[in-house]
Amino acid sequence: MSAFLKGLGGVVLAAAVLYGMQRTTPGYGDITSPRPVAGKLGHRLEGRAFAIDIAKVQLARTVITKGASRDSTFTTSGVWVVVEGTAEALNESLTLLSAEWLGPNGVRYAMSQRLSSLPGMLSGQRLEPGLPTPVLMAFEIPESQVVGGTLLIARSAWAPLAEQARIEMVGVKPVDIHSSLVVARAQGRVPWALSAQ
Amino acid sequence: MTSERRRYWLSLGALVVVLPAAIVVNSWDSLAEWRRSQLQKPIVVERGSAQAYAGAEWQLTGLTRLPGATPDTTLIVAEFDAVVDDPTLLQAGPCAIALTDDKGRRWLPVFLPGRAVRQGRPAAADKPRCYGLARAEKGKTIAMAETFTVPESAAGLTLSVSIGGAKPASLVLK
Repeated sequence: MSAFLKGLGGVVLAAAVLYGMQRTTPGYGDITSPRPVAGKLGHRLEGRAFAIDIAKVQLARTVITKGASRDSTFTTSGVWVVVEGTAEALNESLTLLSAEWLGPNGVRYAMSQRLSSLPGMLSGQRLEPGLPTPVLMAFEIPESQVVGGTLLIARSAWAPLAEQARIEMVGVKPVDIHSSLVVARAQGRVPWALSAQ
Repeated sequence: MTSERRRYWLSLGALVVVLPAAIVVNSWDSLAEWRRSQLQKPIVVERGSAQAYAGAEWQLTGLTRLPGATPDTTLIVAEFDAVVDDPTLLQAGPCAIALTDDKGRRWLPVFLPGRAVRQGRPAAADKPRCYGLARAEKGKTIAMAETFTVPESAAGLTLSVSIGGAKPASLVLK
């Protein structure tokens, strides 16, 4: 009888262990997920392949772009987040194609394609080692996702085991929403000029 | 009973050896290839001399510094020749060019060299980039040029050339 109980106990234990292992098996996405490097707004974040320093974040209801021939106005039902910073490649020339705004509820917002023709946009800038380059990013997000947001920046959105800069957007508050933000082309090191209205 | 128990422990012990061995045997080819690519030292070519590599004789003919778009940047125009010997080997894989400095930093070529090169180094402006190898014929000399954006302070610049068909061997032109 005791031998039977012992055998039964062994089977139950094995089943429990197998069930636990099955439930906790990491998926392909977990095994190859990006390696995060954490940082904060206003501090230079240095990874292995690139360094990025987010200097300023501005919020606006509309974005106005000053063109050579005409101005364009971009409205949104949410809020525009315009991010300015400096990025640099550390070992080899590269382009940072992916930037996402991670809201406090876990939803990720990709960079807005509506302003992608502006000078200095992150995904259009080739970063060279030793040459810090000014970069611009723009997002359209719901107002509720502003506080507690995190900026995620990587070479590409899908590369396995890629390095991902996670920059906490401390101190960005909806109280500071401008009614409009004017983006003009500029000559010199920073190829754009931002002014709030 | 004792022999059965002994066999049980022996099998369990064998697993400890056999499992890692199976993993190593399975991935041996990839491991060997990885080691080969890690250990491979590039062929270093001194300035002014030519070197056979990937079915051609390679020579660096010029590294020209031009002022960049901003004061802290410099454009480097690298001009190099390849005297074709074996077009098939030369075209067997993609051509990768990079500029490296004494700190080990690597710059990749810019896509459109633009007006600065046309004004500062007109002879290089019309030379094809590395894709010029697509027109390789035996005995022909192909003159190519690539442009790089580097910091003003970059020193000890060398051009590294890697042809897919000759990997993992690569060339460093001083």
